[in-house]
Amino acid sequence: MLTNPQLFAPPILPPPRSETGMVGWMRVNLFSAWHNSAMTVMAGIALALALWFGLGWIILEANWAVVPTLGGRIIIGQYNIEAACPGQNCFWRPQAALLLTTALLGMAWAVAGGGVTKRIALVVGGIAAAFAFLPYGFDRMGLDVRLLLLANLPALAVGWALARYTRLGSASWIAILSVLAFILTLVLLRGIPGVPFLHPVSVIYWGGLMLNLLLAIAGIALSFPVGIVLALGRRSRLQVVKFMCIVFIETFRGVPLITLLFMSQVLVPLAFPDNFPQNSLVRAAIVITLFSSAYMAENIRGGLQSLHPGQVEAARALGLPGWQTTLFISLPQAIRNVIPPIVGQFISLFKDTSLVYIIGMLDVVEISRAFIQGNPEYLANAKELFIFLALVFWVFTYGMSYVSRRVEQHLGVGER
Amino acid sequence: MATILRNLTYQGIPIWRNIFVIQWASQILSGVLVVVLVGWFFVNIGNAIQERDIPYGFSFLSRAYQTPIGQHFLAYKSSDSFLYAFVVAATNTIVVSIVGVILATVLGIIVGISRMSGNWIVSKAALVYIEFFRNVPLLLHLFFWFYIVLALPPVRQGYVIAQRLYINNGGVSFPSPSPTNGGLAATWVLAAVVAVIIGWVIRRWLARRERDTGVASYPLAAGCAAAVVVGAAAWLILSAAGGAAPFVISQPEPHGTFGRIAGGFTVPGGLIALLIGLVTYTSSFIAEIVRAGVQSVGRGQTEASRAVGLSAMSTLRDITFPQALRVIVPPLISQCLNLTKNSSLAGAIGYSDLTNVAKTMTQTAPAVSIFILIMAAYLAMSLTFSLIGNLYNRHSRFTAS
Repeated sequence: MLTNPQLFAPPILPPPRSETGMVGWMRVNLFSAWHNSAMTVMAGIALALALWFGLGWIILEANWAVVPTLGGRIIIGQYNIEAACPGQNCFWRPQAALLLTTALLGMAWAVAGGGVTKRIALVVGGIAAAFAFLPYGFDRMGLDVRLLLLANLPALAVGWALARYTRLGSASWIAILSVLAFILTLVLLRGIPGVPFLHPVSVIYWGGLMLNLLLAIAGIALSFPVGIVLALGRRSRLQVVKFMCIVFIETFRGVPLITLLFMSQVLVPLAFPDNFPQNSLVRAAIVITLFSSAYMAENIRGGLQSLHPGQVEAARALGLPGWQTTLFISLPQAIRNVIPPIVGQFISLFKDTSLVYIIGMLDVVEISRAFIQGNPEYLANAKELFIFLALVFWVFTYGMSYVSRRVEQHLGVGER
Repeated sequence: MATILRNLTYQGIPIWRNIFVIQWASQILSGVLVVVLVGWFFVNIGNAIQERDIPYGFSFLSRAYQTPIGQHFLAYKSSDSFLYAFVVAATNTIVVSIVGVILATVLGIIVGISRMSGNWIVSKAALVYIEFFRNVPLLLHLFFWFYIVLALPPVRQGYVIAQRLYINNGGVSFPSPSPTNGGLAATWVLAAVVAVIIGWVIRRWLARRERDTGVASYPLAAGCAAAVVVGAAAWLILSAAGGAAPFVISQPEPHGTFGRIAGGFTVPGGLIALLIGLVTYTSSFIAEIVRAGVQSVGRGQTEASRAVGLSAMSTLRDITFPQALRVIVPPLISQCLNLTKNSSLAGAIGYSDLTNVAKTMTQTAPAVSIFILIMAAYLAMSLTFSLIGNLYNRHSRFTAS
């Protein structure tokens, strides 16, 4: 006779030790079956060997001296050599451009109120300032250079304060200021004839990571709107426009960028009158932009196709004219849906800036290769140099994909 | 005409707000604009050609190219024509593309499946591979491998593995079959193709029988065995009839004081660096495509398959992967196309691909014509890939059976 049910209720036991904690995790993820255990052991041994020899090589065998030997040329290429900048030190100009960038990052941090923007601002400012304390190279990196690098921290603070306490603290102001800062950067780097301290520097001397970043920023900023226009054109009902967009997109997608860059050097100068002002940097930027916008157009078209037609129909039913439907209804949703491929395209554009070697520009990869070529004593250390460059590129590209994931989370993709 | 008039006078709407007029006017305007712009470019190019006395046209194609090509798979000598040199260069690109596509697909599928493995170490190792390799410019990959190959010891001090495999800064040499007699060898290759077809037919027949009757028939093993038996029989008959085996194994051996590998097959160092770089880079993209494809297959498919008692391996091979292929193949083909286009970076490490040879050609031939040729060659390659993709899409579409 069951009078007291509590007497027969099973006691509440903690889960078995083998299912929780470290042991349980290992049971599930590493040793769930005999073949899984075998794989774990084999992969573990391979990993341990790789780590052992890899770390051993990195610490003991590798000669990293090649990186500081190349030094500032990694960042600015030949910008500061005597032929480019006779009689003066031009290194302050790229550094001033960096100060502008950190100030803008500081502003963005204040407006966004922390989060990923804050992290990026602190990382960039911190790395720049940390370079000021490098314990070697005092002959090549003087006090002036180090002070300018250290000034990135105050610049961050000034930007932050500007955005916080003045009326400049809004996203639209930052956008306008970014464009102005980019133009100012180009003017600073190019120089103005006749102005003291702003001796003109020919674009053939621009190089290093600076060149990659300039090309990537210009390419990203321009190829995005061009890509949108091409995508809309390809979906247009106007047959002539549609046809022209298809021809443009398919032609640029069908040919390697390196071929286009090379031909831009050989053919494009002929296609303009002799007195037409042009230089190889602008040509490279335009070719990279056009090439990337063809891919961008296809990504955005994918986004437009993924939209439910009901969205456009509803907008039209509410009486929105066609351009407003496109601008405020279709495009924002379409772009939100294809953020990963768009950022993927940005990343590959950044990586593709290394192809400008074909037109003789010394970007960060090419200047390193040229250095190895010119100094055969470093031939055996080429791999150290290229591993270092790979890490530099990786930091930028991984940063971009990290930001894209955060933007996606922020916009709630896949949640509504 | 009547339609146009009716549209123009539609319900008394003024002409500048008539949608029909606006659409046509904007189309004609943009069309004219583009035509004028392109025309202006061509006029300028024409002027420049006349002023600077630059040669133009395609007559140069039959002239002798007079420039050596570093590596070539087709026989080539400097006195051959531009057109033939162009074909040789295109073949170099195609060879790299085909080998690269096959290796990258295999490696990409392996890494992609490892990424989904339940085993934590394997999965994370694949993640590190993917994230590192695809986030670094291909050019850096190529330079890295190229300088590693360059830093290898010369032939005399090179690595020799089991007296068969030679690794040195000239490349990798390994034993290869070499025909003793052209006719005999060709006959045997023909017989081998027939043997493979016979094996395939047998495999198909047994697979159908197994499916229809449930009797275990081991189609793959039987097919392979049949192909091997037929091939070996042809080999024996031809050897007896011709007095010598159709192929003998040619061993690589260093010759002379400076050491040059003769015999066997040598893959030059530049090509090896190019292939390793291209394959590791592209496979990291393919791995992500494979993962996305397999994950797009509904979870219920996996669960149902495990519930009826199929193993994890069999679930992947027979249930998930075939369904995932529908999602995987289109982006996979676009990656293969990317690999083909990316092989144009080969010039940076001294491999004579299409772009590299074309670049050299512009020094002695009209750039405009070369540009047209090279565009046509790459567009032909991408159209071929698109065609394969479309054929597959048609084949793999859901059909009511």
